[in-house]
Amino acid sequence: QLVSALHNLTRHVVYRGLTRAEDILSLFPENFHQNLKNLLTKIILENISAWRNEAQASQISLPRLLDMDWRVDIKTSSDSISRMAVPTCLLQLKIQEDVALCGNSPVVSALTVELSKETLDTMLEGLGRIRDQLSAVANK
Amino acid sequence: MLRLRRAPAPGPGGAGGAAAAAMGLLNFTRDPVPEAVSGDMHNLNQLSAQQFSALTEILFRFLIEPKEQVERFLTQLSDFATMNKISLGPLKNIVKSILLVPNGALKRNLSSEQVRADFIALGLSEEKASYFAEQWKVNSPTLTRLAVGQTLMINQLVDMEWKFGVTAGSSELEKVGSIFLQLKLVIKKGSQMENVYIELTLPQFYSFLHEMERVKTSLESFS
Repeated sequence: QLVSALHNLTRHVVYRGLTRAEDILSLFPENFHQNLKNLLTKIILENISAWRNEAQASQISLPRLLDMDWRVDIKTSSDSISRMAVPTCLLQLKIQEDVALCGNSPVVSALTVELSKETLDTMLEGLGRIRDQLSAVANK
Repeated sequence: MLRLRRAPAPGPGGAGGAAAAAMGLLNFTRDPVPEAVSGDMHNLNQLSAQQFSALTEILFRFLIEPKEQVERFLTQLSDFATMNKISLGPLKNIVKSILLVPNGALKRNLSSEQVRADFIALGLSEEKASYFAEQWKVNSPTLTRLAVGQTLMINQLVDMEWKFGVTAGSSELEKVGSIFLQLKLVIKKGSQMENVYIELTLPQFYSFLHEMERVKTSLESFS
């Protein structure tokens, strides 16, 4: 019962985003032991940002990008043309499935995608537009 | 023994081509040519210049867009057969034989001289061989580009969509206010499309953009 009560307290603090000692102190009932109240508040305050970050990290979300690697190949021959020199890009994305679903053993998958030069140019155009939109939002 | 693939090409194609033809070696293939081909070439020679040029046009139009237009190609062939009072069966065989040459030529990047020489070696008249070779020269850039485009690609990225926004709150945090970026990648796996959804944080997005720009520089240095 004690643990559950503590848990509820901390969850409430994190949820509300309380960062000031007074706000936390005001949660305790009137006749609560003074020193205990201060001690608990102090401990909670110390941990609050770590707890918030963890809560954010384990939010439900779409699969998240963990890492990416790339390499450029030159295709020299194929069954339809025996001699050519066509550069192409291989992109490997490491993706972690929804953290909230996986708990402590997240599923990480690697997806390898091939892009031609044209596709890459179009993609960069799109990414550039995202960047412009982002800075427009940031400057508002 | 040295194949005469690049016959004395700089010189007038005629001399080199004729030498290759005389030796019975063909530019467009190393394998022996099926028996039927010389008979088909003989039949081709019977066509008038006009008929031959109409047939050539149908063939090249097919080559330029083969995948979608097989139906149209077959229709055009049967129209041609009816119009010129040729039976469709033999015409199809003739067409099959003719197509051997451009297919091999495309694969080996042959010049129009070599194509002409091959047709002459197979028994086609000089006039018709030259005409076909001319058409080959005109169409080969498009055909080459098509062939390169058909090269095998693994998990080709076909399309990308995105949206970004702000996470307002969650069941654990009442007010959040963090920016997320969601990408939808459409990938061609074999013959099917697959959608992949990924979420990125802002710093991840910027480093992704940076890496992609490095890839572009790398690709450009190789083109």
